[in-house]
Amino acid sequence: MQTSRPSTVARWARFHSQIRRQFRRKLRGRAWLPFWLLLPSLIVIGLIQLYPAFYTFVLSTQRTEAGTGRMIFVGMDNFARLLTSTAFIQSLWHTLFFLGGYVLLTMTLALGIALLLRARVRLRPLYITLLFIPWVISDVIAGVVWRLFVVPDYGQFAPFFANPARFGEPNGISILTSPARDQLSLYIPFPPAPALIFLIFAAAWKVLPFITLLMLAALQTVPREVQESAAIDGATGWQALRFITLPLILPMLTVALFNLTLGGINGVGMVLSLTGGGPGNATEVLSYLLYSTGFSMLDFGLAGALSVVLAVINFALILFTLRTARAYEGHI
Amino acid sequence: MSDSPVTRASAPPTVPTAQRPLRHRIQRILQPWLLQLALIILCTIMLFPIFSTVMLSLKTEADVRRRPPVLIPCDMPDGGWRLDACRFALDGYRRVFLPRENPTALLGWEITGRIFRLYMPNTLLYATASALLTTLLASMAAYAFSRYRFRGRQSLLVGVLALSGVPLLTMLLALYRMNIVMRNSLAGYDERAFMIAAYVGFELPFAIWLIKGFFDTIPRELEEAARMDGASRLGALGRIVAPLAAPGMASILLLSYVNVWNEFIANYLLMTRADYRGVMYGVYDYIAQALTAYNALAAACIIVMFPMIAVFLATRNVFLHSMVEGALKG
Repeated sequence: MQTSRPSTVARWARFHSQIRRQFRRKLRGRAWLPFWLLLPSLIVIGLIQLYPAFYTFVLSTQRTEAGTGRMIFVGMDNFARLLTSTAFIQSLWHTLFFLGGYVLLTMTLALGIALLLRARVRLRPLYITLLFIPWVISDVIAGVVWRLFVVPDYGQFAPFFANPARFGEPNGISILTSPARDQLSLYIPFPPAPALIFLIFAAAWKVLPFITLLMLAALQTVPREVQESAAIDGATGWQALRFITLPLILPMLTVALFNLTLGGINGVGMVLSLTGGGPGNATEVLSYLLYSTGFSMLDFGLAGALSVVLAVINFALILFTLRTARAYEGHI
Repeated sequence: MSDSPVTRASAPPTVPTAQRPLRHRIQRILQPWLLQLALIILCTIMLFPIFSTVMLSLKTEADVRRRPPVLIPCDMPDGGWRLDACRFALDGYRRVFLPRENPTALLGWEITGRIFRLYMPNTLLYATASALLTTLLASMAAYAFSRYRFRGRQSLLVGVLALSGVPLLTMLLALYRMNIVMRNSLAGYDERAFMIAAYVGFELPFAIWLIKGFFDTIPRELEEAARMDGASRLGALGRIVAPLAAPGMASILLLSYVNVWNEFIANYLLMTRADYRGVMYGVYDYIAQALTAYNALAAACIIVMFPMIAVFLATRNVFLHSMVEGALKG
């Protein structure tokens, strides 16, 4: 007994060190290199994206208990509260109106500008550079710049917008304060307030360069021979665009469309600096509602539910874009 | 075109043949000029908001308060317009920078404005640290994805790609709470490190995909040839692969730098101490602070956006290429 015991320990120790050495050699070996290269990125992504995603979901099922401040489980209660609240329904409509105008305006203008830039004009690089400057300006600053256009009395365009014949009786001073008139109902805030339309123009101005760039890149994949042969066959410019160019760049148009929609849903900086959600709640889009519920009213459960709703919308859009982009890569 | 009268018989009367070449010739001469004109008008419209902000930032207090507003403060009392009547002033910039005389400082002046003294250094820290870290980590991960075949590679790649579109906004609530918990429970915890980690985490998926695209275009044979010639694996990486992938890394460095510089909402909400916030918060805060000193507000905007415009102008080709690459990938 007494002799065998140390020997067991010794054997075990030898075995252990052998395993450890083997394991270490294995970790240092070639096969493990990709793992070590990936590890830091995976840790950061896990910490900053995966864990918060899970945590947001947990938050959406909880409610802050009055008094103690503890979080208690309430199941789907927050979602029910969210989906039936007037603020949510209104901001959903605001988002839809905003997106509709924003997407339509930007896509049309971007396609037009891209068609102009496709031609071999002199000074083309200069024009491209100049046109793209708004894109490097942050949304907060873009919001301030457009706000300065219409600040009461002194804004460059304040006299234009302060005309009661155009935008109704504002509080006499600014488009940013004139309320929407004759809306259909409390739940369908149509027609939208002038401030929301102004927001569409400001947002389109900032994103236009990027979308134009995407369209230009797409247009350059259309072979010149195809266009030339269409012209020889007697197609007018419009016919060539409608039946040849547009179908060829359709996948890229879809990618641009979804990029645009994603940015439009999630941008909150410009709303904050341009209108601050007002007048009233006329420019309160979903992203702004998330900000105000979570960080002004500190209703974490409700904001968590809204985050989940937004994340689901985003994820659906991303998956759709991925499928389209893959189809596009197949085409080239 | 009108070579055979038989085929054209049923066609409506066409333009007399003598006029057609002339019309074409006029069109050919006019078209480039019309195009130039359209592009010039377009550039003017797109740059007008910036131009107007620059003008506003240079106005005197009296010109800011003019009604109706004047775009370029060069008009004369009689309604005329002369270049030497311009009343440009640096009042706005002075209000933002708040220079104070200080004999011990360099040049005898000290800048005390919060945007310059406090928010700008913070943003420089966040942007530099997260751009460098993003580029480093993304290059490592992209190399692994591009050069090795391992179990779970495909699903990891798709997962990373799907994450590359997830906006910061939806995670802000959770990140906010995580930050508060860590701040209350970890000794020596620095919120700014969390801010940088958050930026890196959100730039990484996109960056990995973009750089992987660059690695994929570098033939493996080049690397193998270098290893045959006696270079180590790391040596081949440093001497052959890195220089070839440098454009990709440079574009990620630039893009993440600009993104972080321009980012507002995460920085504003996650950093509960105003001392840790960046330039965009500086501008946002100034909307309320400046009240009707719109020339100062405009000056703050110009000061904060100028560095990024300069970076863009200096590196525009890298920018424009990588944006298209990136959008196609996700």
